[in-house]
Amino acid sequence: MNLARPSSLKALMAALALLAVGLPAQAAPPRARVSVGATLPLTGSEARIGGFVKEGYELAFEEVNKAGGLQVGNQKLPVALTLLDDATNQATAVSLADKLINSDKVDFLLGTYSSHLIEAQSTVAEQYKVPYLQGGGGATKIFKRGFKYLFGTISPVELLGTTLMTWIDQQQKAGKLPKPAKIALLWENTAHGKDFRKGVSDFVAQNKGAYIISVDESFALDGKDFSALLGKVKAAKVDLFLADAHLPDYITMHRQYVAAGLCHKVVSYGARGSEKGAIDALGVENVKYVLSGVWWSSQLAAKPGPSRDFVTAFKARYGGRDPEWFQALAYLSAKTLFAAIQQAGTVDREAVRQKLATMKIKSLLPGGPLEFPAALGQQAQNPFVVQQNTPDGKSPIIFPQDVATGTGVAANPKCAN
Amino acid sequence: MDRFIDLALSAVLLAGLYATMAYGLGIIYGVLRVVNLAHGGVIMMGAYMGWVLHRKLGVDPYLSIPIVVAASYLLGVAMYRVLVRHLPRGAAGGPASLLLLFGFWLVLRNGAYLLFTGDDQSITTAWSTSSVVVLGSQLSVSRLAVLAIGSVIPVGLHLFLHRTHLGRAIRAVAQNPDSCTLVGVDVERIYAITFGIGTALAGVAGLLSATLFAFNPGSGSSELLKSFVVVVLGGMGSVPGTGLAALILAVVEVFAILVLPSYLTSAVGFVMLVLVLVIRPGGLFGHRVLG
Repeated sequence: MNLARPSSLKALMAALALLAVGLPAQAAPPRARVSVGATLPLTGSEARIGGFVKEGYELAFEEVNKAGGLQVGNQKLPVALTLLDDATNQATAVSLADKLINSDKVDFLLGTYSSHLIEAQSTVAEQYKVPYLQGGGGATKIFKRGFKYLFGTISPVELLGTTLMTWIDQQQKAGKLPKPAKIALLWENTAHGKDFRKGVSDFVAQNKGAYIISVDESFALDGKDFSALLGKVKAAKVDLFLADAHLPDYITMHRQYVAAGLCHKVVSYGARGSEKGAIDALGVENVKYVLSGVWWSSQLAAKPGPSRDFVTAFKARYGGRDPEWFQALAYLSAKTLFAAIQQAGTVDREAVRQKLATMKIKSLLPGGPLEFPAALGQQAQNPFVVQQNTPDGKSPIIFPQDVATGTGVAANPKCAN
Repeated sequence: MDRFIDLALSAVLLAGLYATMAYGLGIIYGVLRVVNLAHGGVIMMGAYMGWVLHRKLGVDPYLSIPIVVAASYLLGVAMYRVLVRHLPRGAAGGPASLLLLFGFWLVLRNGAYLLFTGDDQSITTAWSTSSVVVLGSQLSVSRLAVLAIGSVIPVGLHLFLHRTHLGRAIRAVAQNPDSCTLVGVDVERIYAITFGIGTALAGVAGLLSATLFAFNPGSGSSELLKSFVVVVLGGMGSVPGTGLAALILAVVEVFAILVLPSYLTSAVGFVMLVLVLVIRPGGLFGHRVLG
C-alpha cells in the first residue's frame, strides 16, 4: 500500500478509527478456572488450628468441583485453591498474600487463622482490592478500619460476652442466681480479651441494678502464676467468675482456681471449656458446669439443615471425626465466596465484592442467615452457642433455646453456697 | 491479714519455681561466662521429656526426675562439646555464644513442633489440683512439691561444690581457669560437666513446670526471662543469691497486685532488673562466683 496516496491514507485512518471504537473486540481467552489463594499457619504455634482450617477449605473446594465447578455466567468453571504455609508469622502471611496476588494471580483470597495474622494480611488484600473472606479472626478491631474488601464470617468476641450474659440473665430472672450478682471479670490483655470484656461490661451497663462488676482485671498471656489475681477474686466474694483466656492460660488458671478451693455460681472461661484437651488436663470433675461459648458446634447438626449437611460431608471425608468451629467457619467462608461469585456471574473482583456486601444467604451458623453489615465493618453478627460441661464429660448446647441439646444448670451445684 | 498471708504464701511458692528455673542459667554463667540463651529451649525439652515419660510410659513425673536429669545432662555435655567449646573465650565469645545458643533454641523449638505439633500439653496427675491447708490458706500440692525440690537443689549444689573434689575444681575453674590448667585440672572437662549440670537443672525445671502449667514448643521464653532477672538480681553465678533473688522477685510480683493491674505485675521484675543493672551491676548480693 502506498501511504502517500490519499485514498490509502483514508483507508488506514478508517481502520485505526474502527479499532479505536472497538471493532468486534477480540474475545478474551476462555477462562479455565477460578483461582483462590490462602495462607494458613500449617507450622508454628497455630499449626494445629491451621490444619483444621485447611480441612474446611479443602472440603468446600472438593464439593464444588465434584459438582462440576462454579457456574460463572454461562460457563461452568472448576475452582482451584493455592494454599501456602505462613508459619504463624505475620511478615510471612503478608509477603505470601502479596505473592498470591501478584505472582500466582489468584482471583480471590480466603483468610488465614488468628486475629493477629489476619489483621496484617488483610491490608494486602485491601491494597490490591481483592475480596478477602475469613472465619479465623474475630477481634472487632480488624473490622473497624473501614476496609471494603474484608469480610468476616466470624462474629465478634463481644457477642460471646453478651450471649453468656443473656443466659445468665435468664437464670437470674428465674430466681436461680442472686440479684444483684457480683461478677469477677478477668480477661487476657489482647484484642480478644478486650472484646469479651466490652460485651460483658456493656450488658451490665444496660442492666443496672442486676449486676456489679467487683473485680475487673486483665492478665498477660502465658501467665505462670494467677494466685495473686485469684486471691483478689476470693477476697471480693463474687457470685460469677467470668474469664476470657486461651487454652494454656485456662488450664493453668483453672488448676490454681481449683487448688485454691474457689467455687462460683457460674464459671466461664469464654470460648474455652469444652475442649477435650482441657478436660483431659483438668479432669472431668474439675470442669463440671463450666460454661463456654463458641461460634459453632457439631451439635447443631441435631436438626436438619446446613450444619447437618456439613457434618455429614465432613465425617465422610475425614474418617468419622466430628468437626469443630474452625473447620465449619472455614468451610462457610469458602462456600460464601463461591456463592458470591456465582451470584455475581463473573470473577470480576469489584462485582464479587459488591455482591458479598449486599448478600444474605442461608448458613450453618446459629441464628441462620449470614450477612456482612457495612455499619459493623462487614463482620457477621450471628450469635454464639453456649455449652455447659456436664458430670458425664459431655458439653451440650444450652443456649440459644432453639438449638439447645441440653438444659443448663445454675447455680453451680458444686458450690456449698 | 488473711489476704496478706495468702499473698505471702503465694510468693514463697512462686519463689520455689523461679529459683528452680534460674539455677541452671546461673551456674553456667558463673563458670563459663556464657549466657545460655538455649536455657528456655532446654526447659521446654524437659517438659516434653516428662510428658512423654508420663503419657506414654506412665512414669510419675517426680519419679522421672532422675531420667530427665540424666538425659538433660547428656544433652548439655553434647551441646558443650559440639557447639560451645568452639566459641572464642571471654568477652569476644559473648555475641557469638548468644547467637549460637539462640539458634540452638530455635532448632529445639522447631524439632519439638515436628515431633509433638503445636498442641498445648500438660502433665496431669492425681494431685494436680489437690491442695493442703496451711495457715488457713489452701496451697497446691504440686506447687509445694516444686518449692521443696527448689529448696533441695541449692543445698545439694552447695554440698557438691564445697564438699567434693569435682565441686572444688568447678569453683576453681570459675575463679581462674588459667591457673587451674597449670595445676593439672582438665578445664575443658570441667566446662563440659558444668554445662551438663546447668542443662540438667534446666531440664528438671521444665519437668516441674509441666506439672503446673500447660506448655507447647513455643514455651520457654518467659522462663528464660524470669531466670535471667533472678540470676542478675542474685549476682551472676551466686547460688544462695539466686535463691534469695527468686524470693525477692516473687514477693515483689505477688504483692504488686495490691497497687497495680494484674497484667503489669510481671513487668515489675523487669523494672527491678533495669534498676539493678544501673545501680548495682553486680547484683543485689554482689558478684560472687558460685559462693
